[in-house]
Amino acid sequence: MAELTARRLDESLAAFELALAGVNSTAAVEVVEGLLADGVEPVDVLTGVIAAAQRNVGARWQRGDWSVAEEHAATGVAAAATEAVARRARLTPITRGKVLVACAEREWHALPAMIIDCVLRADGWDTTMLGASTPPLRLGQYLQDLGPDALAVSCSMLGALPTTRRFIEASTTAGIPIVVGGAAFGTDDVRARALGATAWAQDAASAVEAARNLPTVVQVVPPLPDEAVAEQAALELSHRELAARVLADWRADPDLEIAEDAVTQTLHAVWAALLTGDPRPIPQTAEWISALLAARGADPELIADLGLQLRIHLRDYPLAHSLLTTSWPTSAPL
Amino acid sequence: MTSEETQRPYSEAPGGAAAVSGDYQADLGFAWPSMDTGTEPLIEAGPRAEIVEEVGLAMTGSLNLRRCVLQLLTGVQPEIADWAMVVLTNPRTGGLTLLGGEDPSAATKVSRRSVAGQALERILASGRTELLQVTLDDDGADGLATMVPSRTLRDQAAKLRPVDVLGLGLTARGATLGALVMVRGQGRGFTEADVALAEKLAARASLALDSARLYEQRSRVAAALQASLVPGALPVVPGADLAARYRPAIEQLDIGGDFYDVFAAGDEWLAVLGDVCGKGVDAAVLTGRARQSIRTAAHFERQPGALLSAFNTVFASDASDRFITLVCLRLRPADDGRSMDVEIAVAGHSGPVLVRADGRVEQLEIGGTVAGVIPDVDYPTRTVRLEHGDALLLFTDGVEEARGDDGFYGLDRLLRLLSEYAGAGSDAICAAVEQDVVEHLDGRSHDDIALLAISCGGVSGWQS
Repeated sequence: MAELTARRLDESLAAFELALAGVNSTAAVEVVEGLLADGVEPVDVLTGVIAAAQRNVGARWQRGDWSVAEEHAATGVAAAATEAVARRARLTPITRGKVLVACAEREWHALPAMIIDCVLRADGWDTTMLGASTPPLRLGQYLQDLGPDALAVSCSMLGALPTTRRFIEASTTAGIPIVVGGAAFGTDDVRARALGATAWAQDAASAVEAARNLPTVVQVVPPLPDEAVAEQAALELSHRELAARVLADWRADPDLEIAEDAVTQTLHAVWAALLTGDPRPIPQTAEWISALLAARGADPELIADLGLQLRIHLRDYPLAHSLLTTSWPTSAPL
Repeated sequence: MTSEETQRPYSEAPGGAAAVSGDYQADLGFAWPSMDTGTEPLIEAGPRAEIVEEVGLAMTGSLNLRRCVLQLLTGVQPEIADWAMVVLTNPRTGGLTLLGGEDPSAATKVSRRSVAGQALERILASGRTELLQVTLDDDGADGLATMVPSRTLRDQAAKLRPVDVLGLGLTARGATLGALVMVRGQGRGFTEADVALAEKLAARASLALDSARLYEQRSRVAAALQASLVPGALPVVPGADLAARYRPAIEQLDIGGDFYDVFAAGDEWLAVLGDVCGKGVDAAVLTGRARQSIRTAAHFERQPGALLSAFNTVFASDASDRFITLVCLRLRPADDGRSMDVEIAVAGHSGPVLVRADGRVEQLEIGGTVAGVIPDVDYPTRTVRLEHGDALLLFTDGVEEARGDDGFYGLDRLLRLLSEYAGAGSDAICAAVEQDVVEHLDGRSHDDIALLAISCGGVSGWQS
């Protein structure tokens, strides 16, 4: 049975990716509804088809095959398909408590949160989903009005980790446990734990597992190290100015359309490393930029130059400067 | 009440009752969720004075009554109590809600009658403390009945072979809103000092609970009123692909001075997007009236220009001195779903942007004065045909007037962005505009922002 499902999912994935590429919501919805009608579990449809296809969408943009708009169009179709699964999930009787599902502020990828909302609903939770980039005030209001048993926060962008931390503070101040997940946390729980999350979920299935095992009440998180917080806040305040200066001095071709993204992501990686004490986002971002440059036929030595420019422009930020000195690759990876 | 138990005011509590058995935790019979705080209190030394402050602070972090109760239950266990329960009275019905025990998130409801003549009734009536001793040879369950009016909860507490049951009134701002019942197992009676500390804690907890109760009452009223003003879910319109976004100026509200509405009128579909002057709750109330008036008018008139004229007449004669800008559409998808005729009328609002599937983008210029100012106004109606993949974006001035570092967001930026999203579908269009505008703002305050996109395309059927 499981093998049959696996083969069925593989076939469906191909049809689903075709629907994404053709911006054809009708076809995409048909694929997932067909699977559900055949008795495939919602969580398998979500992870085996929708999330799997979405990873390829991201890869296509990264390789320069798709524009941002094409990526967004495909994501819109995937959202329509997720909503179709959610309609099915909403038929599940509610047997557990309430969960509030939110994207951190500046987190515009709503799809992972929609998927988490859907799998939790299918597991019997009464879920409320707050959409992309949730303002902290709105989150606070919902935490008090709803009084949920848990908060689930999706964060795929490193730049959204600072507001994720604020969400953790808001949630735990009200005693509400918080489970976090998404690409910004990487492949282990180091960053999630550093920020004070109650639990970390690697994927949709582990989010379901984590939600089932949360404590009823948690204590408010202790403050993060003062110096690191102060430096991250200062970097965030002067972000636009810093990004513009680094971009102006970086040797990258002014027509390289990912240049601005690369600089922004690198600065965000520095924020993430400061707040979590985990330096890995910095070399990982360098690696990501290398891939973007390679896909667009740009000079790989630009990586070393970006590191140099960052060290120059961040010389007044001692912790950030030292993180870049130790963690940014000195030469382009082969 | 059985004869095996004795009842006495707490001041008669015998000294030396705090003899503690080393393995009392093994008797608990259940695991309280661990909080992994790393500062597990030394229970053997008796409760610390700081616990009052700690539990009080934790409770004030929540304005939700149930969460606040959970904070209290978690806070008192195991340092003060081996088992605890909170009783809340419903001031309207007199009914009691019991929270606590092994599954603190489950609530048990019992009637006020069920506690008649019991210790719990006295505590709820007087707010005074009662300490009850259950003798050790008793199985405890019956003796607990006077404080714990639920068989299931009683059985849990009885497993501890309880010695002392302490009931404290939760009194704040002159009213007793409930009671805190704490049980201690074998060998761990409440000392006089323990009871004094528990009373302090109860007083502190009561204030937090009462604040949460007051907040919750207000919040319920607000939620009920707000629910009628929140834009409803978009209907499924055959042959059309719809999406919308709404970001109120007052971020913690779900409502504001912008609104949109898509509804069926006979076998046709009407779509409206509007902006009442002002923001916040006052403006939202007016959008509710406007939406209702339009729906009512649509029973008699569906041609957008005529509909706006009728609406304007009603709205202008209203006592209100406020005005409103609107875009009104009638959607007529072709039977084959390949095209859609859209009739458009505008009252003092930015014209919709037409995004052709091939990337051509234009703002439709359609005249018409704002509604609600002059009684008799004619609104022209313009018709555009959408082919498969074409889209119309309706938006409020919160988009153009979003003010960032380098000035207003403006129409030019919007048109440039939309040309990249030709054929991308309504959801992608709305998501892109929302993100671009909010990032342009970069954290600055903004007016209400509403978007409604209508594309001609296959039935995607997911907007339910």
